[in-house]
Amino acid sequence: MSATAGTTRPTEPRDGTGPVVAFSGVSKTFGQVKAVNQLNLTLHAGETVALLGPNGAGKSTTLDLLLGLRNPDAGSVEVFGTTPARAIAKGLVGAMLQSGGLMEEVKVKELVKLACDLHPRAYKVSEVLESAGITDIADRLVNKLSGGQEQRVRFALATAGANDLIILDEPTTGMDVTVRQAFWAAMRRQADAGRTVLFATHYLEEADAIADRVIVLHRGRILADGSAAEIKAKAGARRVVFDLEGPIDEGALRGLPFLTALDVSGHTVRIQSSDADATVHALYGLGVYPRNLEVSGLGLEQAFIAITDAASAEEAV
Amino acid sequence: MSTTTPTTTPATPTRTPSAMSTTFASSSLIKLEILRTLRNKRFMFFSVIYPSVLFLIISGPASKTAKVPHTDLTMQLYYLVAMASFGALTAVLMGNSERIAKEREKGWTRQLRLTALPGHGYVIAKIASAATVTLPTIVVVEVVAAAVKDVRMEAWQWLALTFAIWAGSLVFAALGVAIGYLASGDAVRPLTMIIYFALSILGGLWMPSTIFPTWLQNIAKWLPTHPYAALGQAIEVGHAPHLQDVLVLAAYLVAFAGGAAWLYRKDTRKA
Repeated sequence: MSATAGTTRPTEPRDGTGPVVAFSGVSKTFGQVKAVNQLNLTLHAGETVALLGPNGAGKSTTLDLLLGLRNPDAGSVEVFGTTPARAIAKGLVGAMLQSGGLMEEVKVKELVKLACDLHPRAYKVSEVLESAGITDIADRLVNKLSGGQEQRVRFALATAGANDLIILDEPTTGMDVTVRQAFWAAMRRQADAGRTVLFATHYLEEADAIADRVIVLHRGRILADGSAAEIKAKAGARRVVFDLEGPIDEGALRGLPFLTALDVSGHTVRIQSSDADATVHALYGLGVYPRNLEVSGLGLEQAFIAITDAASAEEAV
Repeated sequence: MSTTTPTTTPATPTRTPSAMSTTFASSSLIKLEILRTLRNKRFMFFSVIYPSVLFLIISGPASKTAKVPHTDLTMQLYYLVAMASFGALTAVLMGNSERIAKEREKGWTRQLRLTALPGHGYVIAKIASAATVTLPTIVVVEVVAAAVKDVRMEAWQWLALTFAIWAGSLVFAALGVAIGYLASGDAVRPLTMIIYFALSILGGLWMPSTIFPTWLQNIAKWLPTHPYAALGQAIEVGHAPHLQDVLVLAAYLVAFAGGAAWLYRKDTRKA
């Protein structure tokens, strides 16, 4: 059931233009592992999309398939209505991969110039350097950079020309907080300019703050697809925590209305609820005396864990 | 860590699509490969200076009239070809194999696949830049031989010699690419070294192969370095290169280039 759970987005083209990316029934298997399993995914022009998932969820494989670095075993991948390789050759796609290395023993500006020379719709080298915030290290050798600086050079290579789609695989890994903020500011300008941005990340706050659409991937399938708010709602919007003295009647607690998850450890009860007010009201109706009652919003991180845990439990049954 | 804040997003592309520039290879990438090779002082020493130094050390004390056994060549002429070929071999084999293996491992080849550069553009740039470095290697040995050891030949012989050694080095450039796609990590350097020394020594680049026992000579004469050196030796005595040598080299070129292409495609499918 989880495979179809995420199709809350319209799959029709917006504004009369075709989808930017279209996966239909895409599968990719490595040995016994189904890295991507019957994936259907459509990205539309102008969206900023976060791809979330635990390690091994299939994020990198999905991006590799999108970029034509791997071929699917089944299904089809289209980018701007053509093959990934053709879209890249036309200069429509820029990508920054974790596994993407840099040419060594050359200066930063020389490498950026190469990227501009290779791009069919290139920007000026000085503009690309400035946009990526690497003007001050332009004369350094690539192999003498810190991890964060390397990431910004990768970003410069991914934005050397007027790409309509930008793919980023965990782009802020190795960046400190200041640089990370500057990076996302630069990224947001790309999105504001009408570019479609797809990024995979481990930092859920980044997805929450930057993406207008979040896709949760788990074992090669889409578990959830919607705005960050919708994902949180899907996981159970609020968290209710309290202590109970004496023996705890789990069956009664499980019968509470709007409850989506229950966890009892010792005297502490943790509940996730899609309507906390109604759940708490009914809790008092059970005739118990909850102490230290707390009702709090669920962060995207907890929502994400709730969704993936539920899926794992389902598969284990 | 710098705190420079990115300020602008470029608004318009500066160029209209120019498909021609990247349909086959990229002059930009070739230029950058050459530039970085020229900057690598250690590599430049071993491929450009070292062969000339060896030439002087080995042929220096030798008589200028005595012939190398079983040949019509003086020590100076023999080692002129041997060291020019050796230098060219060093430049194309050592440079490419290790760089390609390392860049595959680090993901640079992957990053390049995300540009409009066609896949083989990378390999073409590697071979082209290596071939650019071999030219000074050959010329420096020739200049040293003529200036210091008074080696004299007709003008056409100098030109033909330069061209034959330069063109023949493409065989080993293809071999370097094949090794770069075959081996990886720690294995690439020892593998390259073994092949490099075997080719150099058995092919007669370090010492005349006529001093080897007959059974070893019988093996050595089928190595690509043997006909490679023979091209230059034929030119030095005023002949055209022997057809058999050219054919053997051509066969090796086809085999190495085919192997490199096959390994390259295999690597690309794996991503």
